[in-house]
Amino acid sequence: MTGAFVAALEKVGGVAVNCDTPKHLVGYLAENAPGAVVLPPCPSLQRLDLARHLRAAGVDVIDDDFRRHAPMATAGLTGVNFAIAATGTIVLESTAEPIRLASTLPPIHFALLDPRKIVADSAVAGPLLRRMHARLAQTFLAYITGPSRTADIERVLTIGVHGPKELHVLLCEGVSDDFMES
Amino acid sequence: MSKQRTRAYKARIDKALATPRLQDTLHRFADAYLISRENAFAGHDFAALRAGIAAMKDEVRDNREEYLAQFTRNAEAAGAKVYLARTAAEANAYIVSLARQRGVKLVVKSKSMASEEIHLNHALEEAGVKALETDLGEWIIQLAGQRPSHMVMPAIHMVKEEVAELFSKVTGQVEPAEIPHLVQVAREQLRQGYLDAGMGISGANIAVAETGGIALITNEGNARLVTTLPKIHVALVGIEKLVPTLEDAQKVIDVLPKNATGQLITSYVSWIRGAVPCGDGSKELHIVLLDNGRSALAESPHCKDALRCIKCGACANVCPVYQTVGGHVFGHIYISAIGIILTAFFHGLENAAELVRACIGCRACVAVCPSGIDLESIILHLREVLGEEEGVGAGKALVFKHIMRNRALFHTMIRTASLLQKPVTRGERTIRHLPLFFAGLTEWRSLPAIADKPLRDQWAGIVQKVEKPRYQVAFFAGCLNDFVYPELGHDLVKVLNHLGVAVSFPQEQNCCGVPALYSGDRETATVLAEQNVAALLAGNPDFVVTTCPTCTMALQRDFVDLLRDHPRWAAQAERLSAITIDISRFIVEKCAGGQALAGRAATEKVTYHDSCHLKRGAGVWREPRQLLAASGRELVEMAHADRCCGFGGSYSFTSHPDIARHILGDKVADIEKSGASCVAMDCPGCLMQIRGGLDKQGKSVRAAHTIQLLAEMIGKG
Repeated sequence: MTGAFVAALEKVGGVAVNCDTPKHLVGYLAENAPGAVVLPPCPSLQRLDLARHLRAAGVDVIDDDFRRHAPMATAGLTGVNFAIAATGTIVLESTAEPIRLASTLPPIHFALLDPRKIVADSAVAGPLLRRMHARLAQTFLAYITGPSRTADIERVLTIGVHGPKELHVLLCEGVSDDFMES
Repeated sequence: MSKQRTRAYKARIDKALATPRLQDTLHRFADAYLISRENAFAGHDFAALRAGIAAMKDEVRDNREEYLAQFTRNAEAAGAKVYLARTAAEANAYIVSLARQRGVKLVVKSKSMASEEIHLNHALEEAGVKALETDLGEWIIQLAGQRPSHMVMPAIHMVKEEVAELFSKVTGQVEPAEIPHLVQVAREQLRQGYLDAGMGISGANIAVAETGGIALITNEGNARLVTTLPKIHVALVGIEKLVPTLEDAQKVIDVLPKNATGQLITSYVSWIRGAVPCGDGSKELHIVLLDNGRSALAESPHCKDALRCIKCGACANVCPVYQTVGGHVFGHIYISAIGIILTAFFHGLENAAELVRACIGCRACVAVCPSGIDLESIILHLREVLGEEEGVGAGKALVFKHIMRNRALFHTMIRTASLLQKPVTRGERTIRHLPLFFAGLTEWRSLPAIADKPLRDQWAGIVQKVEKPRYQVAFFAGCLNDFVYPELGHDLVKVLNHLGVAVSFPQEQNCCGVPALYSGDRETATVLAEQNVAALLAGNPDFVVTTCPTCTMALQRDFVDLLRDHPRWAAQAERLSAITIDISRFIVEKCAGGQALAGRAATEKVTYHDSCHLKRGAGVWREPRQLLAASGRELVEMAHADRCCGFGGSYSFTSHPDIARHILGDKVADIEKSGASCVAMDCPGCLMQIRGGLDKQGKSVRAAHTIQLLAEMIGKG
């Protein structure tokens, strides 16, 4: 399943990164985030205590006053609720506004995904979507498939118009097996 | 009024046709679209997917009051305010008044065709509220002061140099015409808008009744910013976007991106329900449900299927007329085939009047529509309505009502015309030039002369040698076969006799009525249908065979429709429909695949042109290829084999000859590129068009009806 997901993700211009250990993960972020990183409150990120580790590695972390800081950040880091292999899609329940700000404004979006949460296709995802709607009165759910794109000028595919120009999905087993959390 | 309207419309056509860059852009897009669409649907059952969408959309249409109530209840429970706007004016008034009350100075918008439909930007500007489009294509056309020329790609008619010029005016410096750079300029220029705006306005691709939420299917990411950053979110949603459940919404998501742009899924699908968190509080969410003619459309027995539309734009992508003139000619706000219908209901028949006649009737759109809408039939119906309101034109009315309905008179007049044409034909079978004001008709294609003696007058002299025929069939020739290409009738008898089939020619058969029907004169078409049903069933034939696919559709489909409510004729029309069959399918299915026609060595390289009504009407396209290959010819496929040749009956003579000429030019180029020395087809109309175009351009490729090529092989094997 992971192989199919990665293949589909790469087809739409996303980057898949295998991170065997949290240390590897922190190293990758420190190396690939050229400036401030927005860290919204996602359970999988908190479980790894990523804010502390990233700061220790010298990364400028934004974890409060998101509205003010997110427009200037160079990257956002979020968890992922689950992913769909057939299309290379990550599903991110982003009702909490900081998650939306982290995944829409900065030019780079890092998304931490436990590969155990990859499902085959949209048919399998359906019941999960239904569960998310049942849990919350208000919902903002995002299916994200690759970076932002446009073909509005002469139909030439161009990456990174209004949303992130890069999407890195960091595959790290053991961070979460709960499809209802990111 | 109507004359002035027509003049303005013709001027727009002339302007578009004088812009080869436009045709070039749209043709390249169309080619790329077909490939990516095919890839996207690989491994998926398109027919099943579209049947699913059609059934679901029909369910919502028929029970729309309940679904509207359910959606409203659930959306309000989640903290949204829902307003049902019956008209464009009501929707504008609601949104403008909200902006005023909240002191909004700047609105950021993501792409919404509904807002184009109601001219929302104009209403906001009038109230002193600035509306900023953030979708790249929409922003470009907003800067250019234009309207979208495509529902999915609004600025498809523009090139990067034009975009660079527009952007340079915004930034005050010279912006190079490099696409990645221009995209970056848009990103930077629009970013502050999201942060400053007091209101975000979006459309919605889907409204889910069971959740009260909406879904946005997008690529750029601007809709996510528009719905996140400003304190107020207004979603303007046509009521046809309602679906019952989340699973139904998924059906739309599974098809829309594939059919719109050939993507498996767009970069973003956002499911938004209720007053989600915003800054320190909650978002103020207003959902404006827009009727504006949709209920009227739902109640229209002939047109209601158009409400199934999911706005993918595919009907434009495959349309030869759209590819030739673009959406600023072939559209009002909504463009192309679906645009004609939506314009009639949302903006009034007056605004659709010219467009209704601009459709060439090739059914390419019907084949790709993801909701199974028979766009061509609905457009024909609107043409009838218009024919009743504005008339079909004095000349046509005279011919249809007083001449065609009287078969003897009609046929005597054509016989007389064959004598009158002598000065221009000089006794030849082809007319290359016509004098005076008719000259335009032969400027780009030569025309065949009317035969000295029509097939009906030659029939008695055709000797048929069939002992114990396996079938007795009646031949419905149609006007072109009868009066212009009688030799095809001889070929048909020769081939069918060889296969052990006896052929009769019922002398009372008349025009199939399509010219009248397609011009909006349903009454004449009905009279002709009655005459033909009586004539063709009189001898109780096993089958009625045809060589013209448009006639085939008339006999199989239109007669049944026209005579449905006539107790005397309805059952007979059904019977005729059931036994009518195109000649190549007849040979393949009823005469053992035409094995008796099999030839020997490859003598000729043949390419095949699919006639619109044969492939997409009768579903016949394998059969003629099979017969041609079996006859010993080398079959090579041309590009766009099933693209219209531009004939379209009166379309290429009187209504839109200039567009028809361009479409023919594309066809001739494809035929030539195939390297074939012969192009085969199964329609005398296509034959007239393609043969005339090849002749006028001095090409050595010969054009022939399949029956002619089959007849040539008899006696050779």
